[in-house]
Formats: sequence, structure tokens, C-alpha cells
Amino acid sequence: MPALVLAVLGALFLLAPILVVVPMSFSTAISFAFPPPGYWLGYYAKYFTSEEWLEPTLNSFVIALGAMVLTMLLVVPAAFGYVRYRFRGKPLVNLLIMAPLVVPHVVSALAYYGFLGRVRLAGTLLGVMIAHAMLAVPVAFLVISATLKGFDQNLEKAAMSSGAGPLRTFIYVTVPVLRPGMLVGALFAFLSSFNEAVVAIFIGGRSAVTLPKKMYESIRLESDPVIAVVSTLLVSGVVLGVLISMFLRRRSAHVA
Amino acid sequence: MAGELSAAAVGPVVAVRGARRNATAWLLLGPSCLALVLLFVVPIAYVLVLSVSDPRLSLAHYQRIFTVPLYTRVMVNTFVTSLIVTALCLVIGYPIAYVMARRSGWLPTALLTIVAMSFWTGFLVRTYAWLVILGNRGPVAAAYGALGLGPAPQLLFNTFASTLGMTHILLPYMILALYATMRKIDASHLRAAASLGARPGAAFREVFLPLSLPGVVNGCLLVFVSCLGFFVTPVLLGAPRDMMISQLINQQIEELLAFGFASAVAVVLLVATGAVLAIYNRYAGLDRLWG
Repeated sequence: MPALVLAVLGALFLLAPILVVVPMSFSTAISFAFPPPGYWLGYYAKYFTSEEWLEPTLNSFVIALGAMVLTMLLVVPAAFGYVRYRFRGKPLVNLLIMAPLVVPHVVSALAYYGFLGRVRLAGTLLGVMIAHAMLAVPVAFLVISATLKGFDQNLEKAAMSSGAGPLRTFIYVTVPVLRPGMLVGALFAFLSSFNEAVVAIFIGGRSAVTLPKKMYESIRLESDPVIAVVSTLLVSGVVLGVLISMFLRRRSAHVA
Repeated sequence: MAGELSAAAVGPVVAVRGARRNATAWLLLGPSCLALVLLFVVPIAYVLVLSVSDPRLSLAHYQRIFTVPLYTRVMVNTFVTSLIVTALCLVIGYPIAYVMARRSGWLPTALLTIVAMSFWTGFLVRTYAWLVILGNRGPVAAAYGALGLGPAPQLLFNTFASTLGMTHILLPYMILALYATMRKIDASHLRAAASLGARPGAAFREVFLPLSLPGVVNGCLLVFVSCLGFFVTPVLLGAPRDMMISQLINQQIEELLAFGFASAVAVVLLVATGAVLAIYNRYAGLDRLWG
């Protein structure tokens, strides 16, 4: 019983601060006053009409989508190669793939700051996209290689022995079974980029500002109440994302 | 290694097939390995080079980090703060993971949903939330006023605020690591303990707790390592006086354009993180961390 009470209190500690941002977004206060002195939709109107906030939002989506595609192009073949083959140097390859997860983000951020400056990609969407794709590689790899490990290769053997060629087997058996896991991997890659702040803050410069970077600067310099609106929209997005990924996982659990 | 052995034992036919399989594996893994080397390892290596070559070839930056009291204080502060945050996450997270693993019904699902939500909500959103809660016009200050306790103490921009913020942000990592281990614990062990006369408390202490220790180690490691390099939250909630390593790196390039020194600090952080993970790898194997 005491565990139950502590767990509920702990969950409240996790949840309550996140929920505080919702009433804040409807607040009329010009600074961070809670409880709000009054309610209106003015800051929503401001968010949806100000270039200053819409541009970072668009940048974040473009960068996260690009990083997701790049990550998946690298990770899907890599996961097949890693899970299905034995080869020399496997531990080293594992270390290489996991490296972006192990290296503290602030170190990666400093590294990209110097490197992207050298290759003339500092402050560009492409630069942030590349950096985010590398950071998302281990995240997507963990999800997809776990899905692949759970895949029963007898399904492929059955298809082959029933006369399907390797390509048909891959398209009609392998891909459909793995699809939910792939989607979760892609979603994780997208969110890992969309939420990433440190690298984006260091390398975004003036012209590739992502939403987390804009929020960081807004808090640091001006405490603009629009940040509550952005936070509320982000929290709503997360709720949706969690529900989708739970649904997909349940489906992949059924198939595997 | 295993491939070599079997090839030697079975003969040349298998060896040829093995070589072809090896080639396929490298074809699949090649692009990502190449990308990671060129676009991740090289940039990191560049930091290493800068740390001993900017502005000139010397180890002076490292010497400064470990002799100037201002910088040694940053190192110690980072280490101590990370330990405190790790301990707090463990104490708050353990009961949550325990209930998630041991109960049935809707509660574990609800808890898991809350943990997942918190996990995926960006650091900036959660840091902003703490700015509101701890701010001088926030609910805590209002409660002080309502209870007639007079003006609330300054809650923001100190070690307390940044420790609280980091604990809140890293707690989901701890819970997920604990839960991953706890849900694999076979309930029949606990039933066996009970049927042998152990009271619930004793069964927990003697059976469940020891079996959950690998999860405790994993969770603490994840939180500790993430905390060592934490950036956004200490900058926005903490005091510049009690700087953490990542703030020092940022300050050096943002205010002083001292890339060489910032790089050296980054290398120290990287080596410290690597050392913690290497110790773990020695005793448990890193694969288990990502299990």
C-alpha cells in the first residue's frame, strides 16, 4: 500500500508541471503568472500570425522530416545487416552506431559547431538535419533491430519453399510483418529531432532556428507568453504521438 | 570469431559462402558506418584536435581545467549535482516502476502513459513549466501568501531549481529502466517466498529488491551520465555561480570565443562519461543497458 501512495504521488509530480502549461496558454498575463488573472485566446492568435514563431515551427518540421528520412535510409539496411549476419568487427560496428547516444549532446553540439562551420553548413537547415539524423541513428536502430530480432525467419522460409522468389518474399512477407516496428522507429527518429535542443541551439545560428531553440531564446531574453501556447500545442502533439505509438506497438505485438 | 572457427572446421565451401555473406553484411552496413564516421566521428575528433592546438599546440587548457579553482569547482559541482539528481530519481522512480510491474488493471497502463508522455515532452516545455511554478508570481509563491507565511523565498535561479528541474526531466528514463527489469521478475518467486512464510516486507527485501538491482544500476547509470552533460535546464533554472560543465562550454564559446578551451572542457566531459560507461561495460556489458 505505501508503494501505491508513493507511486501516485510520483506520477503527480511527473504530470502536474506539464499540465500547468495548458491554463497558462489561455492566460491574459503578460508574464509567467499562475494562476492566470484572466483568460483569452489572444496569444493563440499571436502565435498563428507571427512570423517569429511560425518560421521556427516550420523549420522544426522540415528538419525533423528530413532527419527522419535520412535516418531510416541508413538504419533499415544497417539493422538487417547487423541482426542477420555474423561478421568480423561486429562489436566495433555496434559501438559506432551507438556512439551518438553515448556522447553527451553538448559535446556533439560543440563538435558540429566547429565541423559545420568548416564545411560551410553552419546555420543552415541541411546542417541541422544532418546532425539530427546522426543523433537519431542509434534511437531508430534500437527499435528496428529489436523488431528484426523478434521476426520469425521461418515465415520467409515458408514463402520461399512455396515458390516465392527472394524479392516477392521480401515485399509480401518481410515488409508487412515489420511495418509497425519500422513506423515506431521512424516516429522515434522524428521526435528525437523535433525535441532536440542542445545541438540546435549551438548550430542553428540566425537562419535555421528550430522551435526548441526559439523557446530557449524566448525564455532567456524576453519571457514571451506565446511560449505557453507553443508548449500546449506540443503537449497535445505528444499525447497524440503516445497514443499512436501504443496502438502501433500493440499491433506489432499481435503480429510477432 | 565464431565465423572463423566454423569455417576452419567445416572447410572451404563454407568459407566461400561465409565471405559472400560477409560482403552482403558490409553492403548493408557500409552506408551508415561511413556516414557515422564522416559526419559524427570526424567532428568529434576535430574537438579533440582543437583542444590541444587552439590557439597553439599545448596541453595548457587541460592544465587550467584541473588547477584553476573556478574550473575545478565546476567539475565537482557537476559531479555532485549529478549524484543528487540520480539519487532523487531512484527514490521517486522506484515505487512508480514497482507498481507498474506488480499491479494489474488500469493503474499500470495509466502510469505507463504518464511516463511516456513525460518522456516525449521536450526539455524546453518542462523547463518552462518549472519557471512558472517556481516563479515569484507562481503557485508556490501564491500558497505562501495564502498561508500568511509572508513573501516566498527566491525559488528560481539557484541549485535547488535546477536540481528539481533535472530530476523531473530525467525521472522517466529511470522509471523505464527500472520497469524493463522489474517486469521480467517472475511473480512465482514472490509466491514461493510467501508460501515459505515470508511476510510481504521480507519477500520484497529478500527476493524482489535483489532481483531488481540490475534495473537500478541501469537507471542510475543512464540518469547520471545524462546529467553530467545536461545543458538547457541548468542554464535556464540554475545560478551562473553554480555552473555545470555544459554551461562552461557554452559560456566559453558564446562569450569568449575560446574554442580551444571549450573543446578541452568537452573532452574532459567526454572522457568522464566514457569512463563511467567503461566501468559499467566491464561488469555488465553495455548491450544490457539498451536491452
